[in-house]
Amino acid sequence: MKADVIVDAKGLSCPMPIVRAKKAMDQLESGQVKKLETTDQGSVRDFQSWVKQTNHELLNHFEEGGIYTFYVKKG
Amino acid sequence: MAVPTITARQMLDKMNKGEDLLILDVRNEEDYKDWKIEGQKITSINIPYFDFLDNENVADDQIPKDTQVVTVCAKGGSSEYVAELLEKKGYKVASLTGGMKAWSQVYNDVLVYQDDQMKIYQVIRPAKGCLSYVIISEGEAAIVDPNRHIDVYLELVEREGANVKHILDSHLHADHISGGPAIAEKTGGEYYITRSDLQGVPPYPYKPLEEHKHIQFGNVEVEVLAIETPGHTPGSVSFLVNDRFMLSGDTIFVGGLGRPDLGGKAYEWAEMLYDTVFQKLSNLADDILVLPAHYADIQEMNENGIVGALLGDIRKNNRAMQEITKEEFTEIVAGSAQMQTPPNYETIIEINKGQKRVSEEEATELEIGPNRCAVHHHG
Repeated sequence: MKADVIVDAKGLSCPMPIVRAKKAMDQLESGQVKKLETTDQGSVRDFQSWVKQTNHELLNHFEEGGIYTFYVKKG
Repeated sequence: MAVPTITARQMLDKMNKGEDLLILDVRNEEDYKDWKIEGQKITSINIPYFDFLDNENVADDQIPKDTQVVTVCAKGGSSEYVAELLEKKGYKVASLTGGMKAWSQVYNDVLVYQDDQMKIYQVIRPAKGCLSYVIISEGEAAIVDPNRHIDVYLELVEREGANVKHILDSHLHADHISGGPAIAEKTGGEYYITRSDLQGVPPYPYKPLEEHKHIQFGNVEVEVLAIETPGHTPGSVSFLVNDRFMLSGDTIFVGGLGRPDLGGKAYEWAEMLYDTVFQKLSNLADDILVLPAHYADIQEMNENGIVGALLGDIRKNNRAMQEITKEEFTEIVAGSAQMQTPPNYETIIEINKGQKRVSEEEATELEIGPNRCAVHHHG
């Protein structure tokens, strides 16, 4: 999947992955896609709740080798 | 300026003193609903930390400026972030260091009873609603259903100037890692559990409760009688202390009965629980004080901070313990048990059987979350 911006939050713990994600999101135009990578398992559910209450759209997410990847389209 | 913090121990001490605390839990809604800090004088609100990213003022109309606020998250990072924001705005706030993870590891002890011959302490692990007991008599101690932070018990026993003689598990626990075998190893005390719960030979020494129905310690006779009360697990027992106190394990709680489904045989075990309740326990006097191994709701704690109730009162308040047929009982108990299971219970059972070893860090992670061992059916 293609992303307009990639946020590397690997190695960071709460709240930094979402702080970074939000900053990157603010820079995007509506319809653009952001990729977030995090190794913090705790922020996975937080990130899903955060996306749900914004008008962004979670396109895809998966875990591979301890890295959680999310693709989000800006609403 | 550094963000003000509070340790789980300091917070528990404040709660013990009866101080009013406002907990601002900044985890996501689901995690909050699943498991949160509760206390008799605690007010709790939930605003996820990511809400503060969009609007720093999101909590303003929910927090009074003169109340002590403690921010809480899973591990203490996000709560610091929110505490910093609130402090700048002039709130009295501190972040709970280590978050829910640290909270899951603090304990409290309360003296339940004392006379010339013995003392009974209830050791409470508030985050998980786990209860264990230390009974002291004439310089000897018995510990019942200890959790894995064994120093909590050893310090209490030392404070009393006693030596650990017996360590008893009322059953094979599914919600927390037992401290029983570790205390036995460290103190030389005997560890007891039922053979039928272990279902195999563990790597640690133990005495089967099936063969030790009378356990004594102290110069004065303090009798711990193992009465088999199957239901929660096939080998669950209760301990009757001096005919006056019933350490009921996970069989009877202040607000309900033990759930029978964690072995995958809900209906079969529910029938065993029925026989326990109506045959074995019906002979016991109403004025026996029941001291369980768990509580599920802060309402079960009395004004002295003790979780316990007279057997007669429990009988009166619990529909499943009144005159009903075995079929009705089984339906109520097995039916209401179809809820979420305790986190990681299968792994915890393996550890308690001695089939698996984990590091301190893994043990902490496994025990994160609420205990879900009781079935509630008041009314």
